[in-house]
Amino acid sequence: MKNQELIDYLESCGVCRVCQLRYLKARGTEYRDMQKTFQRLDVKVPADGIKDEPADEQPTKKPRLDICSTCLGLFSEDFQQQLIDGILHSDFAKYDSAGIVLAFSLPMALQLRQLSMWFALQRKFGAAVDNNFAPDVPIKEAVKLILHPIVCTQLNKEYDANGLMINIELRHSTEQADVAKLVELNKAAFPAKAAHQKRIEISRGLLEKQYQPARLKAELFEKFLPIPPAPVTDPLELQSIDLLGPLVCVAGRYRKLSRELSHTPWVLDGKRIMEDSIEEIIIRNVGGHFSETPEKITFMSSGREDVDVRCLGKGRPFVLEIQNARCGSLTQAQALAMEQAVDATGTVSIHNLQVVPREELTHIKTGEEQKRKYYRALCVLEQPATLDILQKLQISESFDIQQKTPIRVLHRRPLHTRPRTIFEVKARVQRENPRLLVIDVVSQAGTYIKELVHGEFGRTAPSIASIIGQPIDILALDVVGIDLDWPADVNNAAAVE
Amino acid sequence: MATIDAQTLPTTAQEDPLEPYYFQHEEQKICGEFVKPITDNYDENYPSVVDRFFTRYYYLKGGAAYQVLYHSNRICLVCLAPSHPAYSEGIESVSYDVGNVDRSQNVVKGKAKKGGMILQAETTLALLKTNAGNTYKIPSCIRGKLVEVNTALVADPKMLERVAEGAGYFGILLPKIDNCDGIKASLLTQEQYDELLKNAKSEVKTET
Repeated sequence: MKNQELIDYLESCGVCRVCQLRYLKARGTEYRDMQKTFQRLDVKVPADGIKDEPADEQPTKKPRLDICSTCLGLFSEDFQQQLIDGILHSDFAKYDSAGIVLAFSLPMALQLRQLSMWFALQRKFGAAVDNNFAPDVPIKEAVKLILHPIVCTQLNKEYDANGLMINIELRHSTEQADVAKLVELNKAAFPAKAAHQKRIEISRGLLEKQYQPARLKAELFEKFLPIPPAPVTDPLELQSIDLLGPLVCVAGRYRKLSRELSHTPWVLDGKRIMEDSIEEIIIRNVGGHFSETPEKITFMSSGREDVDVRCLGKGRPFVLEIQNARCGSLTQAQALAMEQAVDATGTVSIHNLQVVPREELTHIKTGEEQKRKYYRALCVLEQPATLDILQKLQISESFDIQQKTPIRVLHRRPLHTRPRTIFEVKARVQRENPRLLVIDVVSQAGTYIKELVHGEFGRTAPSIASIIGQPIDILALDVVGIDLDWPADVNNAAAVE
Repeated sequence: MATIDAQTLPTTAQEDPLEPYYFQHEEQKICGEFVKPITDNYDENYPSVVDRFFTRYYYLKGGAAYQVLYHSNRICLVCLAPSHPAYSEGIESVSYDVGNVDRSQNVVKGKAKKGGMILQAETTLALLKTNAGNTYKIPSCIRGKLVEVNTALVADPKMLERVAEGAGYFGILLPKIDNCDGIKASLLTQEQYDELLKNAKSEVKTET
């Protein structure tokens, strides 16, 4: 099969120049200057090419129609213009994403026409056309090679698989009739093996897998649909254009000053126990910039503290996962304004606020058990502290404890005895009230510190109480450090000055 | 931060051995304000763990009183009441092998504590022997599922005489939510128990 013969045949079937190149298996940039590519492949085509070929010049051939019989006009300049106009008329301008990705939902008629042309070429050129491997560059791939670059250039955007997704649904006037025939064809070609067996639904995936000359006879196909594909009068039309913004991740660290603020909304029997939460405060002040639907933002953090525990020091890393983000960037001035707005609550403070690549989320999600947590506990003894007690509570070598599920959560969690490592204990006494100890503890993540202090009736052992051999209770707890160097330090305030 | 080394203790340590151990608050600003030192959270009237989270109830059986520590989340700890005669008789041993079944073999699975033994209020939870030679059948006190027993008591029964309130629990039980009101109504409250003790004392007095 010579290239020239192939192109002449395709031409006679009303196949457009772009699709002709597809059947020449053209790659990437070869679609840009089509004349050059044809020349290189030693194929002669009329110079004026793509459109309006006077029918009287070649009276022996079928009248050439404007609409390509294999792509239904998908690659025509008209369609490109329609598509770009359509995108510009959508909410496209609301999104600032530098990258875009097009997702086409194509009518099945296109796949049927592709198959029909495959059969036609086999008849014409025989064994030169393979049974298993399609003779053309598949339309889906060609869309990427041809339409993507054109649309990106016209819209002044980059291609990015994780960018703003433009979902384009196309329809064609023949789709319904073609699919009806396909249903009949499918019954004849792939009958259900048993009466009770449910017939497989017709889908694009099924078409791709089953509908090849290797699995389907041309004669059977032709009983339902023509070979080569019939000429058409209508082009593809835009059914809808839907935009889905990218997933944007915003990370930072939060600190919590209040002992009456929950981590996430605390609702019991449909009633709120606490008016606000860290999650809501942060989303309220950060979400609006990125999303019109803040209720769809997911808040994640590296662990969490109890309602009555403060989180101080450098704070706890957190991430907001923002679906369908309108905006994917955050200047340091904007970040600073958000940090200041959160600080104004007086109960929560955030810093190091920044947009992070989504791959970095693994930092917060994995290795939770391995992380070290630094705590400071205010504890009270029954008697004033002695030198002996203080010396017993200067522990620089790590030791293991066995901790049963605390009673306070036992009603809703399984009973387990968990081994936990305590890396360091350091106690100080208050000068004015020697019954008061301030105990710094470095522990493995997942240790219940309150229970570690008083031992919870012996259910955590050893405990601070068992180490000193007398009762000790915990009055207050602060998280003072979380062993995770992520996200990176960014001083938004300094950058803005 | 430097670790404390006996040789480098300042001379003042001789006057006050605690000197190296005094707490020093480090200043930090968050939300534009200095963070309050954790020691500000001291409360002279801070209630104990039991007082913070539990309500005390009592159950009488065979002239002896038992204490149920009822957590706000309905978990119950079954203990001896302070007036239990075993304390004066001296504790000799504790066993969860109550004859037909060994309660220490209790296993629970999952959030719902599947497989836990279902106990009635009068069901024997454990056996307690005293130095006086008496054996007390510790009742379960409430109807519920056995979650956990205190095996430390078997190894060291004498601990009952010295540990703080609650640590001498014989079992942890989980009653059904629907039964909670009925269970509470069937037990003696702290006031009723105090009243009972007062009457018992005056009875003893009148007898003598």
